[in-house]
Amino acid sequence: MTEVESLRPLAAVAVSAVAILGILAAHRRPNLRESVTLVSATVMFGVVASMVPGVLNGTVYVTRLDEVVTGVPFVLRADALGILFAVLASFLWIPTSLYSIGYMRGLDEGGQTRYFASFAGALSATMGIAFASNLVVLFVFYELLTVSTYPLVAHDETDEARSAGRKYLAYTFGGGVAVLAGTVLVYVAAGTVGFSAGGIEGLTGGAGTNVARLAFALLAGGFAVKAAVMPLHSWLPDAMVAPTPVSGLLHAVAVVKSGAFGLARVVLDVFGPDAIAEIGAGLPLAGLAVFTFITASVIALRKDNLKRRLAYSTIAQLSYIVMGLALLKPAALVGGLLHVPAHAFMKLTLFFCAGAIHVETHTDRISRMAGIGRRMPVTMTAFGVASLGMAGIPLLAGFVSKWYLLAGSFSAGNVVFAFALLLSGVLNIAYFWPVVYGAFFETREGSDEKPVIDANIGGYWSGVADHYAGGAFTDGGHGDEDDGGWKKPGWRGGEASPFVLVPILVAVGGAVVIGVAPATVYFFRIVRLVVENVTGVAV
Amino acid sequence: MTGIGLFAGHQYQIAFVLLVGVGLYTMIDAKNLVKKVIGLNIFQVGLFLFLVSSGYLAGAGPAIIDGEGRYVNPLPHVLILTAIVVGVSLTALALALIIRVYDEYGTLDEEHIQEVMDGD
Amino acid sequence: MTDALLGVVIALPVIASVVPLVASFWREEIGWYVAVVALVLNAVLIGSVVRSFVSGGILSHEVGGVAVPYGIELALDGLSAPVLVVIAVVSVGTLAYTRTAGPRSNSFYSGYLLLTAGLVGVTVTADVFNLYVFIEITGLGAYALIASGGDGRSAYAALKYLLVGTVGASLYLIGIAYAFVATGTLNMADLSARLADVGYGDTIVLASFAFIIAGLGVKVALFPLHTWQPDAYSASPYGVAGYVSALVSTVAAYALGRVILTVYTPGFLTANPVVSSGLIYFGALSIVAGSVLAVLQTDVRRLLAYSSVSQFGLIVAGFGIGNTASVFGSVVHLFGHAVMKGALFLTAGIIAYRFGVTRLDEYAGVARRVPYAGAAFAVLALSLVGVPPAIGFVGKWYVALGAVRAGETAVAVVIFASTLLTLMYVARLLDRMYYGEAPEAVADGGGGTRVTRGMVALVVLASVAVVALGPSASAVQETLALGEVLGG
Repeated sequence: MTEVESLRPLAAVAVSAVAILGILAAHRRPNLRESVTLVSATVMFGVVASMVPGVLNGTVYVTRLDEVVTGVPFVLRADALGILFAVLASFLWIPTSLYSIGYMRGLDEGGQTRYFASFAGALSATMGIAFASNLVVLFVFYELLTVSTYPLVAHDETDEARSAGRKYLAYTFGGGVAVLAGTVLVYVAAGTVGFSAGGIEGLTGGAGTNVARLAFALLAGGFAVKAAVMPLHSWLPDAMVAPTPVSGLLHAVAVVKSGAFGLARVVLDVFGPDAIAEIGAGLPLAGLAVFTFITASVIALRKDNLKRRLAYSTIAQLSYIVMGLALLKPAALVGGLLHVPAHAFMKLTLFFCAGAIHVETHTDRISRMAGIGRRMPVTMTAFGVASLGMAGIPLLAGFVSKWYLLAGSFSAGNVVFAFALLLSGVLNIAYFWPVVYGAFFETREGSDEKPVIDANIGGYWSGVADHYAGGAFTDGGHGDEDDGGWKKPGWRGGEASPFVLVPILVAVGGAVVIGVAPATVYFFRIVRLVVENVTGVAV
Repeated sequence: MTGIGLFAGHQYQIAFVLLVGVGLYTMIDAKNLVKKVIGLNIFQVGLFLFLVSSGYLAGAGPAIIDGEGRYVNPLPHVLILTAIVVGVSLTALALALIIRVYDEYGTLDEEHIQEVMDGD
Repeated sequence: MTDALLGVVIALPVIASVVPLVASFWREEIGWYVAVVALVLNAVLIGSVVRSFVSGGILSHEVGGVAVPYGIELALDGLSAPVLVVIAVVSVGTLAYTRTAGPRSNSFYSGYLLLTAGLVGVTVTADVFNLYVFIEITGLGAYALIASGGDGRSAYAALKYLLVGTVGASLYLIGIAYAFVATGTLNMADLSARLADVGYGDTIVLASFAFIIAGLGVKVALFPLHTWQPDAYSASPYGVAGYVSALVSTVAAYALGRVILTVYTPGFLTANPVVSSGLIYFGALSIVAGSVLAVLQTDVRRLLAYSSVSQFGLIVAGFGIGNTASVFGSVVHLFGHAVMKGALFLTAGIIAYRFGVTRLDEYAGVARRVPYAGAAFAVLALSLVGVPPAIGFVGKWYVALGAVRAGETAVAVVIFASTLLTLMYVARLLDRMYYGEAPEAVADGGGGTRVTRGMVALVVLASVAVVALGPSASAVQETLALGEVLGG
C-alpha cells in the first residue's frame, strides 16, 4: 500500500461546499441554481472516480491539513473503504439531483434554494465521513451531516415536519455524543484515534479490556443511531415526512449508511475483527441486528403508507450490513459491505418510484394504489425489479450480498443467522408483493381491501383511537390525495416527467448490473480489497 | 513568619462576626432599598475591621520606623484605605441607582417595585 | 521578561474614561470617538504585549518599581494572554455595534472605558488584593452600564447586581484576608509558595479557599449564585448585554482559574480530594441546572443568560480538574464563549431593534426576514452546542479529555451530556426562528430603523470567526505553555 499526497480527497469534500455559495447566490434564478447542483455533482463524482483505479492498485490518496485538536491530525485519506462509500454517494447524487428537480418543481415546493443548498452541504459532509482518517475527523463530518440534513427533514415546515426534525436532531446528536465519548476513551486508552486496517494496536487486552468494551459500546451505539438499529431507529420512519429525494439519497444512502460506514470503520479499522472477537462484542451486536431486521420487517408488513413501509425496509436492510460486520468473518464482511451499494441502488429505485407516484397522483397509501401499474408501467416495473432484489432473488443486486452473508453465517458456525436471513427474505417478499400485485393485477374498482392495518400492535387505547377515528392517518404525507388522478394517460402512459423517470431507470439499472455481473462492477472489487487488507484473507 | 497574623485578642473577631452578620441580615431582610445599602456598608465595615486587625500586634507602635522596636504591619492599613475607597464609590453608585428607581416607581419598597414591574 | 506596557494597557482606558465626562462641558455625544481612539490604541498595545509574550515567554512588571512581594506585580502568561486578547477584540467590536445601537451619552462611554480598564486589570494583575480592586472596578463599570438602559427596570436590575456582586467580592476579600493572615503576603507567586509551607491541609488555608470560591462563584454566576445575572442581562441595552455577557463573567472565571491554579495550585487540589471534587461537581451542577433553567425561559435574553450559567460550569469544572488538557479546554472555552455569547446577544439586539420582539414565541420566522443575522445566530448557537469544527467543540473536547484522563467519569458524562442539554434550548430557538409562523410584528418587516449593515456585518464576522477559530485553536497550545503555569 503506497500513500500519495493528493488534493483530490479534499477537492471531493470542497466541491459541494463551494457549490453551496453558488446555490445561495443564484437563489433568484432556479435554472442556474440547479445547474450549479448538477455541475458540482458531476465534478464530485469525477474527482472521486478518478481515484478508483489507483485505490484498486493499492494506492491511498492523502490530503494533510493542520491538526483538529492536539495530537489528532486533520487528514483526509481515500482508502478502499472510504472510496467505496464516496463513489456510491457521489454517483447517486447525480440522478438524485435530476430527480430532485423534477420532484420539487412537479410539486411546486417552497424553500427550494435552502433545499438544494442543504443537500450540497450533506454531500460534502458525506465525502468528509468517507475520507476521514481518524475518529475525530469522522466525528466532525458526522455532526456536520446532522446539521445539514436537519433543514431537509423539517423542509415542509408543518408541525409534523418540525417535530420530526426535532426528533431527528435529538437522536442523531445523542448518537454523536456517544461517538465523541467513545472517541475520547479510545484516545486516552491508545494515544491515537487514527484508523489502521486491522485495528489500532494496544487498544484491548489486559486491564484495558473493560475500557475497550465501553468504548466499543459507545462508538457502536452512537453509529447505530444513524444506522437505525433497533431500538434507536424511531427517527427514521418519522423523517419520511421529508421530500422523497431526501428520503431516497439521505435516508437510504448517505445518512443511514454513514452510520453503517462509521460502524465499519470501528469494526475494521479501530478495533479490528480479532480484537472485537477478543472482547466478545461481535455476537451481541449481531444478535441486535437480527432482532432489528426481523422486527422491522414485521412492522413493515403493517404499514399502509408506502414511504413508511420503505423506511422499515431500510431499517431491516441496514441491519444486514450491521450483521455482516458483526459476524467478523471475511465472507460476512464482504456481504455486509457489498450490501452497502446493493441496497443503495435498490432502495433509491423504490423511493424514486414512491416519489413519482406521489408527484403524479398525490397518493401515498398502498391500499389506494391498486391498478396503478397500468398508468405508470415503467415506474412500477422498476419498483417490482427492485423489490425482488430486496428479497434476494438471483441476478439482482441483493442476491450477491446476501449470498456472502449466508456464507459468512455458516463460516461463523452460527446457523441461526442463516435462518434469520432466509426468514427475512420471505418477509421481504411478503411486504413488497402486495404493492406489485395490486399495481398490476388489480383495478381500482376490483381491489379487495387487504387485512393490513396501519395501527399499533394491540390497538390504540381509547384516547388515541378517537384521534384516529376520522381516518387521520397523516404520517409522512404531502398535501392531499387527489382521487381519480390517474385517469388521464397521455402518450407516455401517464408516467412522470423524464426528470423523474430517467433517475429511476439509472438506479434500477445499477441494481441489475451489480446482480448480473458483480465482478465487472468496481464495488465488488473494492469490497474484496477492503476485506483483504483487514483480514489478510482473499475472498 | 505567621507571627504577624496573630490576634491580640478575640474582641476583633467577635466584632467582625457580629458586624458581618448584622450587615448580611439587613441586606436580606430589609425591604427598603436604602436599608439594604446600609446593610451592605455594615457588612463591609466588619470586613475592614477583620483585615486591619490582622496587622495588629499587642504593644506595637505605628510603622514609622525609628530604630529597633515593635511595629504593626502597615500593609493592612493600605489595603483598607483602598477597600474603603472602593466601598464609598459603590455606595455612591448604589444611591444614585436608588434615586433612579425611586423616580420611576415612587417607592423604595422592594415588594412594591416587584409588583409594579410584574404588572408591566 | 519585564514589560512596562502591562501597566499602560490598564492606565490608558482609566485615563481615557475621564475624558468624555470632562468633555461633556463642551460637547454631547463625543464619548464614542474618545472610546474608539482609546480602545483601538489599547488593542494595538495589547497586541504588542501579547506578541512579546509569544516570542519571549512570561512577562512581568513591578508597578512603580517597588520590589515584589511588597509592590504590586503585573504579569502575562499562558492563562491570561488569551483572555487579554479576547478583551481587546470584544471591546472594540462591541464599541462598533454601539455606534448606532447603544446609548450614546458621554457618561456611558466613561463607564465603558472604566469597565474595560477593570477587565484588563483583573487579567494582568499578579497580586490577590489588586485583583479584588480590579474586580470591584469591573463591577462598578458593569453596574453603571447595565443601568444605562435608562428605565427603572435596568436601574433596579443594576442595583440587585450591585448588592449581590459586592457581597461576592467581599467574600473574596475575606478569603484573601485569611490567606494573608496565614502567610503575610499578597503576591500570587509568593503566596503560592508560602501556602504550601503552611500546609494545604491547614484549616485557615481551606477556609480562605472556600471564601474565595464562593465569592468568585457569585461573580461568575455559577448555580446557585447566579440569581443576579438573568435580570441584569435582560434589563440592559443589547450592546451592554453583549459586552457584559462576553467579558465580565469571563474575567471572573479567569480570576477563579488563576487563583485555583497558580495560587493554590493543582497540588492543593490533589492534597484535598474532597475540595477538588466539590469544585468539579459545583461546575457540573451548574452545567445541568443552567441548561434546564435555560430551557424553561420564554425570553431570549434570559435564555442566553442561563446558558452562560451552564457554559461557565464547564469552564470551572475544567479548572477544577486541573490537568493541562482540561485547563487548556477551559481557556479555549473562555475565549470561545466570550465571542459566541457576546455575538448572540448582539444578534438578538439586531432582531429586537428591527422587529421589537424579545420573547421566544415572537421569534417565529424571523430568520427569513433577516437572513444574514439569522444565519449568524444559527451558526453561533450551534457552535455553543459544540458542533465541530467550531470553537465550542474544541473547548469541550479538551475539558472532556482532561476529565477522562483524570478518571472523573461522572463529570465526563455530564460534559458529554451538556451537548444535548444545550441542544434542548438551541434547537427550540432555531426551529422557531426558521420554521415558525411569523407574527405580525415580524411579518410586517419590522418598524425599527436602528439596524445598520455594519451591525449585521459584525455578527456575521463573529460567526465566521467562531468557525474559523475552532481548527486553529489547538495550534496555540504549545505557545501558551500551560504546563509551566500549572507548575510543571
